[in-house]
Amino acid sequence: MNDEDNFLAEAFRRQLGAMITPAAIRAVEEGKSATALWAELNESGFVDAMLPEDAGGAGLDLAQAFPLICAAGEFAMPLPFAETMVARGLLARHGVGIPGPGAIVMAASSNLLPGARHADHALVGGDGGSALVAITAQGDDLFNTGAATSIEQGELIATFAAEPDTVLVCAAAVSSALMAGAMARVLEMSLRHASERQQFGRSLGKFQAIQQQLAVLAEQVLSAQVAARGAFVGASFDPVRVAAAKCRANEAATVVCNIAHAIHGAIGVTAEFDLQLYTRRIKQWQLAFGSEVYWGARLGLARIASRAETTADFLRLQLATKAD
Amino acid sequence: MSLTLENFPPATLPPHAEALRQEVKAFIAEQLAGVPTHIRARTWAGFNADFSRAMAARGWIGVTIPKEYGGAGLDAFARFVLVEELLAAGAPVAAHWIGDRQSAPLLLHYGTEEQRRTILPRICNGELFFCIGMSEPNSGSDLASVRTRAEKVEGGWKLNGQKIWTTYAHKSHYMIALVRTSGTSEDRQNGLSQFLIDLSLPGITVRPIMIGTGDTDFNEVFFEDVFLPEDAIVGTEGNGWKQVNAELAFERSGPERIYSSLVLLDLWARLLGDNPDTAQAARLGRLVARLAPLREMSVAMTALLTQGHSPITEAALFKDMGTEIEQQIPAEIAEAVAAHPDVAADPELLRTLAYLMQLNHVFSLRGGTREILRGMIARGLGLR
Repeated sequence: MNDEDNFLAEAFRRQLGAMITPAAIRAVEEGKSATALWAELNESGFVDAMLPEDAGGAGLDLAQAFPLICAAGEFAMPLPFAETMVARGLLARHGVGIPGPGAIVMAASSNLLPGARHADHALVGGDGGSALVAITAQGDDLFNTGAATSIEQGELIATFAAEPDTVLVCAAAVSSALMAGAMARVLEMSLRHASERQQFGRSLGKFQAIQQQLAVLAEQVLSAQVAARGAFVGASFDPVRVAAAKCRANEAATVVCNIAHAIHGAIGVTAEFDLQLYTRRIKQWQLAFGSEVYWGARLGLARIASRAETTADFLRLQLATKAD
Repeated sequence: MSLTLENFPPATLPPHAEALRQEVKAFIAEQLAGVPTHIRARTWAGFNADFSRAMAARGWIGVTIPKEYGGAGLDAFARFVLVEELLAAGAPVAAHWIGDRQSAPLLLHYGTEEQRRTILPRICNGELFFCIGMSEPNSGSDLASVRTRAEKVEGGWKLNGQKIWTTYAHKSHYMIALVRTSGTSEDRQNGLSQFLIDLSLPGITVRPIMIGTGDTDFNEVFFEDVFLPEDAIVGTEGNGWKQVNAELAFERSGPERIYSSLVLLDLWARLLGDNPDTAQAARLGRLVARLAPLREMSVAMTALLTQGHSPITEAALFKDMGTEIEQQIPAEIAEAVAAHPDVAADPELLRTLAYLMQLNHVFSLRGGTREILRGMIARGLGLR
């Protein structure tokens, strides 16, 4: 990350602040058309940020894309922006044309496909490589977040050579960064609420019991953020790094949601209050694309397969930040 | 105020530091050949003067101390690599640990030129071992309430009082102690000073405390009319609290806050074989996933320290989570082992596990308790 990257991320956050307001999120969740909002996102150019510059993109690598995805999580992005940005980048790298202006989700094997309700296309994976398909129907949206329990695949648009789990790894990586961003916002909201809400004649944040809980909340958020950042290095996602990121994000999510709602009390789940916009999304990502046990097992096997003398060696060689 | 990802900027260990790693690995392999895992599990609680002197002979004590004072003149990144390898292998570093991590940097920063010239080279050559006098019988987490007092007398100071839980005081040559030089314990952080105390002076009694495991790492140290020369004070009179706080980021940000149970984890991982069942693989992987961001944070804080920052809140957050995983590793492995009462566990695994199970609950006490750390994080979050 250099100054230019920070500038880009800041510019994106400003746009999101204007575009993805809580009112806009609620409108999408209430079933109002998201066409205009998606068009606006498309026109912003950020959805193409991972395309090469000669294809109209900004040529962002994973490390540069990371803050944009976090920002999408931080604003409870109701449309599959991050998924589409990463999918377009992946397609471009494999020489597959962008299928049109619509959103693309990563339909790896998962009981929930976040964003699928708003997507026209999906990437699907398998032993024979990956494929770009049209979506013709979607299953239930169980969290009212635009997710679907499944998709019906229509036309096969393109296939490309990839590892059998490439789509799953991409989907889990994107989810962990979106979760990290959303959890950071949940921390911020909890701190604000704790300073504003008065009980027993003083603000909640003055109670030691609350302070200790908020400290734990901050720890879990930071740990998940650092783990997610660790998955966004190099040219393409490394399954070992993604395993650590999604495992950590999922574990943290339980603690983060519990504490944030404990701090807020009942108001936190009401429709008029914004907290639930974030925590419903965090919970859907928790259920999607592999749990802490799934990714933990993959990471554990990778640790064993590495034959590293110590776990410190494994952390250093396979999970540490790499020099530019 | 808040804590965000920007508090932990991504950092890597520079090549000059990494260059040290293979040499350290080779040294440890040679020195620790045949040392069983349950002994290695003591890591920075394991006292072995011979090992420390062998380290000194390599120039690896006080690596961050400038060459003119007997150090290696390397940076904090080099020390990170050195310490990471020592802890990961379970090397017995306790003898020189405090001097290397805290006392030498403190004297370099706040000491007089005379103190630097006389003490630092002897820390670096493995001749002097240090301990830290902080807690007292009535001052635990509430450190500012210390009552041990140094009174100004002709030609120096007269010290009276008592310290407790002083790790390896009975095997150390010097103590750096936080004591009151003016006011009363009501004055809290004001009126505290740090002293460099030669533990061979008359009037000092060191009494080991035996803990339930039979170990005697801790001590009570009594000071009865101990005469300290004028130049025993470290830094500025009355500035002790500030000086102690400046050490905290160093004390809490290092790999010793995440690797205390690592040799157990690695022995267990080895014994799992190539094809563990999913539950065991997941148990291992989830612990690794928690360690990974913590190591990143530790490297990030090392970078911040080299840039002159003092990431005290960040270090509190890191240490609270780090000691949690250090406690969790023995707990998880105990659960895994006891889940199959009909299967005989590896004897060395059992010995190592038993040692750590008897002590892992205190990992969150040393160097600042969980509750104090969380209070500091809350302050960093703007709540206090």
